[in-house]
Amino acid sequence: MFRWGAKHPKPLSLITNFRFCIIESSHTLITMNIGTATSEENPTHSYLGSRGIWITYVLILLITHFMLLTIPFFSVAVAWTLTNVVHCVITYFMLHVTKGTPWGTPEQGKARTQTQWEQIDFGQQFTPTKKFLTVVPVAIFFLASFYTKYDTTHFCINLIALGFSVIPKLPQLHGVRIFNINKW
Amino acid sequence: MSMVETIYMPSENDFRGKTKKFNGVQNGGKISNGCHKKTKQVDEETEKAWEKDFCETFEETPMLAAISTYIGYLILVAVGHVREFLKSIGIGVVKCVAEPKIPGFVPLYQTWESFYSWYVYRRIQDCFCRPVSGVPGAKMVVIDRESNDHRWSFQYTGGHSTVLNFGSYNYLGFSQNSGPCAEEVEQTIKNYGVSVCGSRQELGYLDLHKQMDRLVADYLGVEDAYTVPMGFATNSMNIPSLVGKGCLILSDELNHASLILGCRLSGAKIKTFKHNCMKDLEKNLREAIVDKQPRTHRPWKKILIVVEGVYSMEGSIVKLPEVLRLKKKYKAYLYLDEAHSIGAIGPHGKGVVDYFGLNPRDVDIMMGTFTKSFGAVGGYIGGSQALVNHLRLYSHSAIYSSSMAPGVAQQIVSSMNIMLGRDGTREGEKRIQQLKWNTRYFRRRLQEMGFILYGNKDSPVVPLLMFMPSKIAKFSRESLNRGMGVVVVGFPATPMTKCRARFCLSASHTKEMLDEALQITSDIGDLLAIKYSKAEPPSYSENDVPLVEDS
Repeated sequence: MFRWGAKHPKPLSLITNFRFCIIESSHTLITMNIGTATSEENPTHSYLGSRGIWITYVLILLITHFMLLTIPFFSVAVAWTLTNVVHCVITYFMLHVTKGTPWGTPEQGKARTQTQWEQIDFGQQFTPTKKFLTVVPVAIFFLASFYTKYDTTHFCINLIALGFSVIPKLPQLHGVRIFNINKW
Repeated sequence: MSMVETIYMPSENDFRGKTKKFNGVQNGGKISNGCHKKTKQVDEETEKAWEKDFCETFEETPMLAAISTYIGYLILVAVGHVREFLKSIGIGVVKCVAEPKIPGFVPLYQTWESFYSWYVYRRIQDCFCRPVSGVPGAKMVVIDRESNDHRWSFQYTGGHSTVLNFGSYNYLGFSQNSGPCAEEVEQTIKNYGVSVCGSRQELGYLDLHKQMDRLVADYLGVEDAYTVPMGFATNSMNIPSLVGKGCLILSDELNHASLILGCRLSGAKIKTFKHNCMKDLEKNLREAIVDKQPRTHRPWKKILIVVEGVYSMEGSIVKLPEVLRLKKKYKAYLYLDEAHSIGAIGPHGKGVVDYFGLNPRDVDIMMGTFTKSFGAVGGYIGGSQALVNHLRLYSHSAIYSSSMAPGVAQQIVSSMNIMLGRDGTREGEKRIQQLKWNTRYFRRRLQEMGFILYGNKDSPVVPLLMFMPSKIAKFSRESLNRGMGVVVVGFPATPMTKCRARFCLSASHTKEMLDEALQITSDIGDLLAIKYSKAEPPSYSENDVPLVEDS
């Protein structure tokens, strides 16, 4: 059973271009039983705080970095800058562009317009998960600046990458959509 | 003993039932079901005596397993994204889920919301929702199916497999289609028909229902009981008639969806406390009483603590003596959901109150279901006469839903008579002891093999942790091939690192069946390397559970 239409008022300018529908999330609910074993309705809120995920994150980062270092064409400086940029791009897409959940939740689409970052820990600010995820790009920036010997071009690229990593994570930008990009 | 005020509901509801004062003494201090009332002066030592026998373990996830789990999910998601991208440019479109592109129409599926279902869940979909036929007793018949298109769709091969049934909730083994219960049910259907076709308040109240209510009350040791034809609705439709706006509900983290829905529908403020953590509960109670209602700072009208007897996903038992102590100290009410514990634990099979040897009159609202232990459907709420009178008038299910079907009611009456020993045999006692023995034996043997199990040593629900999504799939398939049917649960139903298989033990499992299951589990455990446990071997054993021999 499917329902068409909007749950919230659509902006007039986007009606023609934007197509979406609300599927009855009961299909995925019944088959996948989200939230029956825990009372956690939307696992996105808490899975980034589970045991061992921070270590996994750092591990994947290290592995990517070493793989980039092994490519003979890249110097150390280029490898570091590339790590920083690739990390920034991937985390930006995962955390700040992707909205909603990859499954239908019992809370019936409350989080559909929220990015992953806004969903973490129910939108509370300054939780340990959020602090960790903010610190990692900064740490990479410092390391990258050091290893590129503060070269100007590299510095500019790294700074832009840092900007894209850290600015969307600021609490003032919670729920903010600049120029209505990515609003619905 | 509890004062009159703590049992009655507030007078604004204007109940018209008889106001019977209860001062706790009946039959010279003994309650008729065999539980003895605790005396007022209880020493510190006897109060904490229950802790010595209470053995619950929740071993921590090994770090390597956790990291492998995350990397596993990452690979699955990455491959899913690649497939999604290829599908969007037209390569690898699956015929049976492809949508026809009709101009002017919005697509049916929003791809991100179906992502997990299509690219992760679908790969192991043959482990869930397997069709079974026949009675799910100690053995069940699973209908074989296969998939030719990578589990997008299934076809029946025409074969059946008879496997050991560790997936059904059948604690006392009443899931049978022959025997005294079945014969009595058949007779009742011939007398009364298949359905009642009326609500309780309008011609739907049979003498059978009256007998059933009385029997449930006797079984639990409470003044009166009220039954509802649907277990889920017992919670979701009755909690709103007990609490409302201006009340506070303190509910355990891992409460079932029916309890959560009931609490939400009531309009009361809900606060969750950490699972089975009495310190957290006490902290919340104290804060609630001191801070009162959030904006107005008026005192709460009622504080209701909602807990379950046995939590089916964790296998843990609620620390009831402690909850009762806190309830009395801070003058809150207690709602105990015994869906998985009634019939399954306790020396007389009377649930978690019986397990700890407490007075059933201390619990304000005792709720339970008949689905798991009695081979029927529906639920009950037991408590004081005033409570049940109120529910009979104001509950949603009494007014709007039809009452329990006569066949089901007869099944409940028959099975409860067996459990109470009123049919003259020792069948009830035999089943309870068999279940206890099975639980202890199974858990002891699994823990000795080195598996990580969650929960209390006496809980008949045995979660076996496997952590990785691919391992739960393999476990499910291998065990089906080898003749054992289990339920496996993964993310997002459980936390990401806590995927598990869940064994539900039954009194109808014999020792030979358990040994076979243990052998299968051990073999698969070696194959999959899931014997992660680093805890020392268990100290409990099944030898202190006396079995009732067939006379």
